[in-house]
Amino acid sequence: MNQRTFIGLILCCLCALTGVVGAADVFLEATRPDFQKIPLGVVSIENNGGPDWLGGRLEEVLKKDLKRSLVFELMDLPSLGIKVRDVGNGLGNGSKAVFKQAAENGVSVLVWGKAGLKKGEKEDDVNMEGFVYDSGSDEVVGGKRYAGSPSVVRLMAHRFADELVFRYTGEPGIARTKIAYVSAHGAARELFVMDYDGYDARQLTADGFLNLMPRWSPDRRFLVFTAYRDRNTQDIDMIELATGKRWTLVSYGGLNITPALSPDGNFLAFASSHEGNSELYRLDTRTKAVQRLTTNPAGELSPSWSPTGREIAFVSDRGGGPQVFLMSSDGSNVRRLTFEGDYNAAPAWSPRGNWIAYVCRTPRKEYKLCLISPDGQKRMQLTTGGGIDDSPSWSPDGRHLVFSSTADGKSHIYMIDADGKDLERLTFEGTHNSAPTWSPAS
Amino acid sequence: MGTTPFTIAVAFVASFALLGVSGCSKKSVQSGGDTQSSQQSKTAKSESTESSRTGVGNFPDTSMQSGGGSGLRGLDKNPSEERIGAGSGGSGNGMGAGSLLAKADTSDTAARQMDEIRAEQAASTAAGLRDVFFGYDSWTISDDQRQALNRDADWMKSNPSAVVKVEGHCDERGTTAYNLVLGEKRAKAVRNYLVELGISANRLSVVSYGKERPSCMDHAESCYQQNRRGHLAVKTGK
Repeated sequence: MNQRTFIGLILCCLCALTGVVGAADVFLEATRPDFQKIPLGVVSIENNGGPDWLGGRLEEVLKKDLKRSLVFELMDLPSLGIKVRDVGNGLGNGSKAVFKQAAENGVSVLVWGKAGLKKGEKEDDVNMEGFVYDSGSDEVVGGKRYAGSPSVVRLMAHRFADELVFRYTGEPGIARTKIAYVSAHGAARELFVMDYDGYDARQLTADGFLNLMPRWSPDRRFLVFTAYRDRNTQDIDMIELATGKRWTLVSYGGLNITPALSPDGNFLAFASSHEGNSELYRLDTRTKAVQRLTTNPAGELSPSWSPTGREIAFVSDRGGGPQVFLMSSDGSNVRRLTFEGDYNAAPAWSPRGNWIAYVCRTPRKEYKLCLISPDGQKRMQLTTGGGIDDSPSWSPDGRHLVFSSTADGKSHIYMIDADGKDLERLTFEGTHNSAPTWSPAS
Repeated sequence: MGTTPFTIAVAFVASFALLGVSGCSKKSVQSGGDTQSSQQSKTAKSESTESSRTGVGNFPDTSMQSGGGSGLRGLDKNPSEERIGAGSGGSGNGMGAGSLLAKADTSDTAARQMDEIRAEQAASTAAGLRDVFFGYDSWTISDDQRQALNRDADWMKSNPSAVVKVEGHCDERGTTAYNLVLGEKRAKAVRNYLVELGISANRLSVVSYGKERPSCMDHAESCYQQNRRGHLAVKTGK
């Protein structure tokens, strides 16, 4: 491990020295603090017919995706004196001059494209072509062509962004991921799903009562969540996104909350109070055998699986206020993780395993997001200021979190980088949006 | 606070740290491999109640579908066209790993629930049942709040056929999840007190709504104290 880190460091230094950043097929650990972002410039997505907004929209979405990826440093080409046109298919003399200029100015990757009406087939279909120049190999390394209806233009840009992230990191990218959340409709709370950047929200449930705390299945096809049968009894339900089909997984009576499927989908961990107070259980999804994981007069809840599935972080209020604990996924080896403050809850284990995000109550009685390493050695407060923060959930690349906050008055959903930078509000509609949960990468 | 078993756990972990290179990785090997010996170290017992229960529904296979590259095909010097479908999450093959979204089922469930909620509210108002209010983070019923419950108990005694749902509510501070636990503690405290006053437990059901059904929406203590409540609702119909 240490040796690998050391080699990585040397590689990184070499890259910085030569100005050639990881030309293709190198896995870059982009969450490391010393990770050098790859300087990338988006020349333009030219409009070549089709709706007026087409090229501009694609360019805007693509740029935001690439910036959010945290893999690329988005370069402002005009300020470097690079003309944002005449690249074409990257073969002409004009384009050669642009490439040279880019390389001289330390821009490692250039991206450009064009978009227009697709001829034939459906009348209003659009298409997009994107190209990538890499100064490391000094060539146009390839491109993509997409086609579809104007309603999927954002998805084209998302997909192209993910291809770029994939090429330079080996990871699938997050631009095509989704966020499920709860949104108030009158006094009811219904489940919604939106794109990771807050666009294209769709309503999933409409039963007119409470649907709470959704979590994704590993394959992104289902959500598990808490619902209230006839308003009186809590169940854990499952809904299939593609069909809207919905059924009950656990109906024990009492509290049935905070369901979480294991990373391999083989277990459902959840909290239930059907045997008295709230305890954690683990249900084998194949045999339906149920194992009780905790036995304690205090309340236990909010299980969050480690990425290996071998451990579970959870909340227990043994000793008074809620605190974050860890245990093996069979319920053994319980130990307390958080000791600072008298209220720590809603743990979320990073998909990279190195952090657990949670809600911490500060000495000023504010509910903010904190991070702690699973060995308890490192701890930091991620968000500050007024507003009640809740329900942190990691992006599948471990570089961002979504959470809800009342910072702007009503509860809305926000995204923040794992280092506390670039807070971005994602929801603007409605009176209450909460309990966001980030889908796995596809 | 259970310090004794915890000290044992700490000592257990410390012994590994003394034994070997990395206490941390040793620990996870231990917990994953040898449950027998780790039984000794834990603060909570896990009793394997390996029984299939009736309250468990059907699970589909939700494991991550295989397929390296996650639907991405990589850049190509002569790219072929990928068709992007609506709601496909941008997956060229149209499968979209299940992110194709169905429209919400707009059945009349919502309307029925609304009618039932109204009927319940009307019955509770007519009965003159009183709410109980709690302190911040607390589920203890104070002496003055017991007065309200004494009256509620009187009403239940003179209306022996009535069945009452005790709802536990919280203010907006704290997490959604923990407030559901707190709400249940409040509701159970109310139920237990009513039982002490001689009301039969089978006439009382308990449900926690956490901070999800506030009666007041402002971010102020005057509002918070109205939301930290045990609400008694007369059950109508079901």
